Amino acid sequence: MDQLPPSLEQLIQELSRLPSIGPKTAQRLAFHILRSDRTRTDALAQAIVEIKTRIGYCERCFNIAEGPLCGICASGRRDPGLVCVVESALDVLAIERTAEYQGLYHVLHGVISPIDGVGPEDIHVPALLERVGGGGIAEVIIATDADIEGEATAVYLSRVLAPIGVRVTRPAHGLPVGGDLEYADELTLARAMSGRRAF
Amino acid sequence: MHLIWLELRNYRNYGHLDLEPGPRLNLFLGANGQGKTNLLESVAMLALSSSPRARRDAELVGPLAPEARIAAVVESGSRRAEIRISIVIDGERARRRIEVDGRPRRAVDLPGLFRVALFWPDDLNLVKSGPEHRRRLLNQMLVQVEAGYARALARYARVLEQRNSLLKQVWSGDQPPSALEVWDLELAKLGGEIAGARGRAVAALREGAAAAHGVISGGEVLELEYQGPPADLLSAVENSRREDLRRGSTSVGPHRDDILMRLGGRDARGFASQGQQRTAVVSVKLAEAELVASMTGERPVLLLDDVLSELDGDRRRALLESLGEPGQVVITSVEAEPFPAAVIGSSVVRCIEAGRVQACG
Repeated sequence: MDQLPPSLEQLIQELSRLPSIGPKTAQRLAFHILRSDRTRTDALAQAIVEIKTRIGYCERCFNIAEGPLCGICASGRRDPGLVCVVESALDVLAIERTAEYQGLYHVLHGVISPIDGVGPEDIHVPALLERVGGGGIAEVIIATDADIEGEATAVYLSRVLAPIGVRVTRPAHGLPVGGDLEYADELTLARAMSGRRAF
Repeated sequence: MHLIWLELRNYRNYGHLDLEPGPRLNLFLGANGQGKTNLLESVAMLALSSSPRARRDAELVGPLAPEARIAAVVESGSRRAEIRISIVIDGERARRRIEVDGRPRRAVDLPGLFRVALFWPDDLNLVKSGPEHRRRLLNQMLVQVEAGYARALARYARVLEQRNSLLKQVWSGDQPPSALEVWDLELAKLGGEIAGARGRAVAALREGAAAAHGVISGGEVLELEYQGPPADLLSAVENSRREDLRRGSTSVGPHRDDILMRLGGRDARGFASQGQQRTAVVSVKLAEAELVASMTGERPVLLLDDVLSELDGDRRRALLESLGEPGQVVITSVEAEPFPAAVIGSSVVRCIEAGRVQACG
């Protein structure tokens, strides 16, 4: 390892800082980049530089955006009366992939977690309250994760949104589509049973 | 409930173990420090998903590689399942990966597939040791028989951590007191689930434990009583806020639970002799195995770690008689001495030496 040129060493170190990349993978990637065509490596470097200069956050919903508004907020075809609150921009992608949801989003960029020193003021809760308080929104869907912090954030939001008089909902929990009932974990099955609907 | 096959790789002092236990009594003999407890611990992990005694997962990984593996085939009813648990050292931490029949499974979702009743030397002090010991007894049983209990327990621990952290922030003025409301709600909801399950469990153990104790002791009366949080947990949590803020920790909830054990009407913690204590423990353990069997329709695999030699006369006999019930039992002992010839005769007997299991002699 001591034999590597410093610039290669540097690249390996930077790559190994990326999530789910260990030292071995970082080495493999670095050598791959070293062997790659110049145009490819320039394109990669350029893409990384551009993402930081061109991509920012939507000033309405805090989704990633290349401009003041994200593509979803800028689109005229979405229902502005419906807002789905999510933890991260990745969640927006997941819901968009379903092509089922036609409303807008609000990205919190985090959840309430005292251990990490994160309170409601540290995620985009004040902006959400202002947005909903501004009127024109009929329903807020709180789609934070089902872990403890996501659940606590959902409860918190439902409490502070209640006085505004907006309808507040949480996505249903249920059985995975095409899943085998026998293999569903017990809590999911229990929730699916208690949350059953009439045909 | 049966353990059909067990394989350990680089697990504590086992380099490689490949074991097919017998369907009934299995007796493992060996001197101290040879790996008897480690063997039972690995079987317990298949039922509980975490070690009942290790403080950190990294302890489980042997010296040969940065990974330890437990693989097993278990049978419940007529259904067989293959469980694999691997513990991989990753920098400072150890990651645990669990698979059932080749599919990944979260640690909180494993318990219930394979069930055990544990009896460790530690348990002999159950009556007089701290309340966390008696809570652990309930937890180890309940994760295996109550759907969602393991998850509720893990979530409750997380809520407690969050609330305690927030208490300090509110005390120092960094957050408003109203920030505690959502955590109070979550604490009360999960705490109520846990307390409900524990209350039912102790009520169900009470009769069996009293009957066993009465027989072994010749008529002494053992009573168990669950000492849980107040029924209206939310109000209790809200009312304790001032006190909690001052202490910087949560004073009400199932993390403070206990089981009161009375002998002849008196709190046994204060006066029980070693003999009385052990009779009570054996009785509770017998009642536990019985209760798990009646709740699930199947006897759990009994794991007895070197406890028989600690018991005398009637207590040992009572335990051995209960082993006569059809079911799989794994016992470790330093010597064959405490076992009657009839038990030895009907057991698969093997010897453990330096992490190897072999025929004795």
